[in-house]
Amino acid sequence: MLLALGAVVLSAALYVLYLDVQVVRQFEGRRWTLPAQVYAAPLELYTGLSLTLPEVEHELQRLHYRRAERLDRPGTYRRQGEHIDVMLRAVRFADEARPAQLLTIDGAESGIGSLRDAAGHDVAVLRLEPLLIGSIFPIHGEDRIVVAPQEVPPLLPAALKAVEDRKFDTHHGVDPLAVLRAAWANLRAGQIAQGGSTLTQQLVRSYFLDSRQTLWRKFREAVMAVALDAHFTKADLMNAYINEIFLGQDGDRAIHGFGLASQFYFGKPLAELDLAETSLLVAIVRGPSYYDPRRHPERALARRNLVLRQLIAQQVVGGAEASAAAQRPLGVTPRPAGAYYPAYLDFVRRTLRRDYREEDLTEAGLRVYTSLAPRAQEQAEHSLQHELERLDKARKRSPVQLQGAVVMTAPQSGEVSAIVGGRDVGYDGFNRALDAHRSMGSLVKPFIYLTALESGRYNAATVVQDAPIDLKLTSGQHWKPENFTREVYGPVPLVRALAESLNLATVGVGLELGLPKVSATLERFGLPRPPELVPAMLLGAVEVTPLEAAELFNGLANGGFRTPLRAVRAVISAEGKPLKAFPLEVAQVASPEVIYQLNRMLVLVMERGTGRAARAQLPAQLVVAGKSGTSSEFRDSWFAGFSGSDLTVVWVGYDDNEPTGLTGASGALPVWAHIMANAGTASWNAPMPDSLAEVHIEYPTGLRVVPGCSEDIVAVAVPGDATLPVRPGCGFPQVSGDTGLIDRARQWLHRLARGM
Amino acid sequence: MLTMAARWLLPALIALATVPGCTLMSRGPTHSGATEAGAQGHATPAGAAQPAPGPLPGEPAPAGGSPGAGAARQFHLGPAAAALVAQAHQQAGTGDPTQASATLERALRIEPDNPLLWVELGRIRLAENNAVQADAMGRKALTLASGDADAQASARDLIAEAMRARGHNPEAYGADQRAAGAAPR
Repeated sequence: MLLALGAVVLSAALYVLYLDVQVVRQFEGRRWTLPAQVYAAPLELYTGLSLTLPEVEHELQRLHYRRAERLDRPGTYRRQGEHIDVMLRAVRFADEARPAQLLTIDGAESGIGSLRDAAGHDVAVLRLEPLLIGSIFPIHGEDRIVVAPQEVPPLLPAALKAVEDRKFDTHHGVDPLAVLRAAWANLRAGQIAQGGSTLTQQLVRSYFLDSRQTLWRKFREAVMAVALDAHFTKADLMNAYINEIFLGQDGDRAIHGFGLASQFYFGKPLAELDLAETSLLVAIVRGPSYYDPRRHPERALARRNLVLRQLIAQQVVGGAEASAAAQRPLGVTPRPAGAYYPAYLDFVRRTLRRDYREEDLTEAGLRVYTSLAPRAQEQAEHSLQHELERLDKARKRSPVQLQGAVVMTAPQSGEVSAIVGGRDVGYDGFNRALDAHRSMGSLVKPFIYLTALESGRYNAATVVQDAPIDLKLTSGQHWKPENFTREVYGPVPLVRALAESLNLATVGVGLELGLPKVSATLERFGLPRPPELVPAMLLGAVEVTPLEAAELFNGLANGGFRTPLRAVRAVISAEGKPLKAFPLEVAQVASPEVIYQLNRMLVLVMERGTGRAARAQLPAQLVVAGKSGTSSEFRDSWFAGFSGSDLTVVWVGYDDNEPTGLTGASGALPVWAHIMANAGTASWNAPMPDSLAEVHIEYPTGLRVVPGCSEDIVAVAVPGDATLPVRPGCGFPQVSGDTGLIDRARQWLHRLARGM
Repeated sequence: MLTMAARWLLPALIALATVPGCTLMSRGPTHSGATEAGAQGHATPAGAAQPAPGPLPGEPAPAGGSPGAGAARQFHLGPAAAALVAQAHQQAGTGDPTQASATLERALRIEPDNPLLWVELGRIRLAENNAVQADAMGRKALTLASGDADAQASARDLIAEAMRARGHNPEAYGADQRAAGAAPR
């Protein structure tokens, strides 16, 4: 009997010892898995930037800067007349760490007048901190931002102790009295109403154990808590608790630790939380789902105020201060802050997977700096939703929603500024921008005309035949393409064939050039798969994703220089060491002369052709170039176009590939125009190469005319040595290609006379 | 290394010398509502103020609104880009071409059409022994430098050096150019 008892005691002691060793070893070697954090592009502020003070203020609010009278801590600003003072937060960029600092932004008529530091010295250029746009967490995994003890405001541990574990500083890991008190309360309530767990026990439960409620587990928890308490300092345990504990759920993503919770609920660092905000987080500890402040604001508010009352009772804060805090609203951001752009993050993740193992991304605490432009991204999302709703109202298939995708880039760098993967922009599902392979339709035409210009046999004024085509294919079938209007236009200048997207003329040109030549052009500009060499290719029977279409057109917008589209600028380690940069790379894939001629024609698409409906929405003086695309039977509606600073590609269609009845001009173009009209974009303004000349031709015939001699004239760029047939009676007195001052004056007078 | 430093010093001095003159001309390309030629802030052509072959007053800008071929102009850096270029030179000087390159990309985001910045970035690539990219950036600069003989010359210098670095004969490139090189390379 005594022997049996001895054996039990011995084995229990051995088990406790085993737990003790295990706990200490695991806890000492603890390393939280830190998902990579992903940041948007920082806003560069500099003298002359045309951003008004209200716009600057808006950008600060996007970063959750708080308006305040006194700038006593980072994350605050004040606006006084024509300047804004802002106490910038400390920030780590890929290339430098910057301490918190005071900055004064002076407004001027056209934007920012000057920037000054605390000493009043001029600052030439300065970045705001980048917006956190998400993290790369494992599937069903924990997301967290680890905070060091010095980043934690003293109020938080004080409040946690007051509410969760009053004897934290003195007990030895467990608090038997608290357990008894809780048991008594539960007995009276007839259910589990109160937990008697110390913070240490909660930490053990979260860190070492699963969440089953069994007596055996309770025992293990208690033993391990005592062990932890014996081996580690209270400060260590408190900091571990603050970083470990579960505080919310966002889809697949579990929000752990107060550092991330602060970003998740309030969009700002933990150090900037006030009493009301801190109390809310402490309130959430007890039941992150039950007290979810976004889904159950009343419950959350009631519990937050209960926390505030406990803080008064425990003399953590004064009564007046707490009462004032209790009057405050919850203050959580409407949607998870660090605004969540799943389609863009998807592209970032795919880019990084080429260089990093999944574990590196989800565990190693990398910081990833991207080129996402929050303003452009939000505009693209809004425009797509807005226009698709409008288009859907006019659709027959009312239960089936039109879908769409948008990709925006900065052409000269190839940096992707926005990606929208569907109209439900917050949904992390099918990413149409990257995965919808759709026929590009007439988006292929610029590359056919580019090939034509490169051949040296064509220029914008060259007359081509828009005539019926009947091709016998190798299959024995006949291919008889038609124009959209089903009309035949006869002889037309190249510029008109492109502007009005004439199919017959284009097929004629393409066949004359040869399919392999056209295919080679597409591949040169970045088409990843060689297209099938069939005549229908000339009308866009080539499948591309919106992202691939953007890469193709980016080469045009970038003056014939191809650049791989990039979302990631740099990656640094958790310790701030630069790991990888994705530097700008360009490759010339077409001559400047040929590209310039083509782009001038694409400008005329917007002035005279299938893009002209955008004119009404765009600022009057804005020069843009673009091309519509409609695939066969109206299954895909595309528009791809660019200004001097932004390229935007829009796709609209049904997921099941059913016809939409929309052309590129009626479906994608309105979305495109809505984005570009609100993007604050700069005109396309490339310099004309020296060997080209700007000439005026009659739009219907392509004949060269003196400006003012005909009713229907367009200006095109042609090689300086090109000889163009002149319209009889409209001869040009000089041989040179350039139009002189006198001609411009005559044209101007002519327009005046016509009342234009 | 010494020659490298000298090469950077000159453009830096030029850039700094032009700073006071262009304070009011620089505007953010992505926020510019105005669209008249040259008002986008990147590399304001010095000739834009003169009524060169631009549109007549009151006449809508011609499509493209582009400076006519052969219109003389001179590129310079705005204050923000100039400060970043100076910082990049410092970083390159301390043997950190990656940082220098990142800083120049910041400048390029502010003035993406300024050939001087493309030449600067090409020089960094050359220092990184990436002659292919140095060459490509020289060509990019050259297409943007239309009308600015000095900027064209520094772009051509860069291309020639990149070709030498690749073991090609720059004379061949000159001949190419004379043949009006319409063919893509």
